[in-house]
Amino acid sequence: MRFPSRLLAAQIYFAGILWAAFYAVTTLITICIAIFGTLDRSVWEGATQVPRWFALFVGVALVREFLPLYIAHGQTRRQFGAQAAVTVALYAPVLSALLVVGYLLETLLYSVAGWTQELARPHLFASPTQVPLVFTEYLVEFLVWIVAGTFMGAAFYRWQGGGLLSIPFGIGLVVLGEAAIGADLRLPFISMPLGVVSTPTVLTALATGLGCFLLGLAMTWPIIRDVPLRNRLT
Amino acid sequence: MFDDRSPIYRQIADRIKADVLSGALQGDEQVMSTNQYAAFYRINPATAAKAFQQLVDEGVLYKKRGIGMFVSPAARDELRAQRRERFFADVVDPMVAEAKAIGIPLGDIVKRIDELERNA
Amino acid sequence: MNIEVSGLRVNYGDVRAIDDMTFSLDGGKIYGLLGRNGSGKTTLMSVLAGFRRESGGTVRVGGHPVFENAAITREICLIRDAGETIDIDKVEDALYFAEWLRPHWDAAYAGELLDRFGLRRNMKVKEMSKGQRSALGVVVGLAGRSQLTMFDESYLGMDAPSRYAFYDALLADFMEHPRTIILSTHLIEEYSSLFEEVVIIDRGRLVLHEESQTLLSRGTSVTGPAGQVEAFTAGLTVLGAKRLGPTASAMVYGDLDEAQRRKAREAGLELGPIAMQDLFVHLTEGSGDAAPAVPAADASANPFGDAR
Repeated sequence: MRFPSRLLAAQIYFAGILWAAFYAVTTLITICIAIFGTLDRSVWEGATQVPRWFALFVGVALVREFLPLYIAHGQTRRQFGAQAAVTVALYAPVLSALLVVGYLLETLLYSVAGWTQELARPHLFASPTQVPLVFTEYLVEFLVWIVAGTFMGAAFYRWQGGGLLSIPFGIGLVVLGEAAIGADLRLPFISMPLGVVSTPTVLTALATGLGCFLLGLAMTWPIIRDVPLRNRLT
Repeated sequence: MFDDRSPIYRQIADRIKADVLSGALQGDEQVMSTNQYAAFYRINPATAAKAFQQLVDEGVLYKKRGIGMFVSPAARDELRAQRRERFFADVVDPMVAEAKAIGIPLGDIVKRIDELERNA
Repeated sequence: MNIEVSGLRVNYGDVRAIDDMTFSLDGGKIYGLLGRNGSGKTTLMSVLAGFRRESGGTVRVGGHPVFENAAITREICLIRDAGETIDIDKVEDALYFAEWLRPHWDAAYAGELLDRFGLRRNMKVKEMSKGQRSALGVVVGLAGRSQLTMFDESYLGMDAPSRYAFYDALLADFMEHPRTIILSTHLIEEYSSLFEEVVIIDRGRLVLHEESQTLLSRGTSVTGPAGQVEAFTAGLTVLGAKRLGPTASAMVYGDLDEAQRRKAREAGLELGPIAMQDLFVHLTEGSGDAAPAVPAADASANPFGDAR
């Protein structure tokens, strides 16, 4: 199989630009809080709730934009599936690394300014400087959210409104992944602590993350393996 | 350019014949290639090729392999002979019919021809 | 690449878009695919390109089945209005992926075509006009140099100069890099001279597959006194007839030999050619019952079968 260099490069390029803008905005908010209020915890921690939605969107876009692009350029669904899987597997660590860098830059800023970088939520890591743990947590999170996106994106692409039925399964994937890192589940209208479900270690987190990733791919493939290209996207 | 009704290859063939008759295309002169014709008239090259094939079959053009199409040296004379043969049927007879239909005496036509002949 | 379609059926749920269609194309030519709205043109081409799997029958391109066959689909390109190959951020992004995914991509030629259509690399595709989108599709389709290249109404929104630029580029590139090209269109007047062969479909069925020049030479309009027209056209395939006072005009489909032509002249009838568009209209108008009746026993005179 050909290495999906351009697919991956395009995604990473886009993510890099977004990250830079996102980091700038977060830092601005941090400074505002420090000036006009009391800053007693990590703002970046709160900010990292957003990128997983971006990861979900990337998963959807892979199917909605790039599957038709690939087929229309004479690639097979199988070729696309393989390239997309490799892309997700390599893209999630990049996203995760960007968040790690965000934490480290924040640590630097806080120590220079003399602020306290307290964490407010349960995590796999106890301090933002535990790089391997931070990386693992977000890696698992992004892997799971992206494949949840490809799965639901595929269902909506194929069955339009019928894709609604895929949402519970997509949420199921996400819950499984979040439980693996002992994080709170924070979705609109649903918020519950998942730490009680398991006491995660790096190993169980990685294993569960990988399992969710493969499960998500396995759930997506039957939908796209013979999907007709839509005559018109609505 | 071409009317899109009668087969284009016939129109192209007719045009080349007209050029040969008028002397615009001389004997042994190379004619444009099918591709040049196709591009110029914005038509399928196979259609242009069909026109050329028809002209080769009729002896108006001849093929030099790998070089192109040329006007047969005898083409002009042969075309003139053909046209002469058909002249009365194609030109004079319809004219006489038209003259009758609109009431022009044939004598007037003869007179007109005499005038043209004198002025030429 | 040659194309063999045999007993093809395509269903959308309960709707049958293509019904028992059989024809074959030799390849290496420019084909016109004509049909009314909803006749199945896009569906047919989508199956030929592997965008969609056939519901029944077989489709072979270059002798092989198409769907999910990487060795064949890499040589096939279908540009549709849906814009699969261009709906991505900017023009340069569309070219970036085309270059990477298309085995015969000619980047220099793509650049040349962009200039010819007045497109810039930094244009956002979503902000482009309909005509510009169509032009970008043409760029992607031509520069891909695919062995089977199909354009599904790839002129939508293009102004006349852009369309002529498209026809010129298409012809020039076809002559330089001969390949199989299929064009679907409603602009029959403009396109007809580009075709070597024409495939006409209607309501999911094949109506006719013919060399375009032969098709044109088979269509004859017969005009003259109504009684004479009627007598002359008796027993011929009449696609349509009109009457104005004592004068009638009928469209006849089929070869007329020299004796028939003489007979017509003697009867004071005027014989004239019929434009491809008019032939098309008459071959596809009306419901199935009103379609021109053709003696089923005489297959050779049947203009609705695959005559090739």
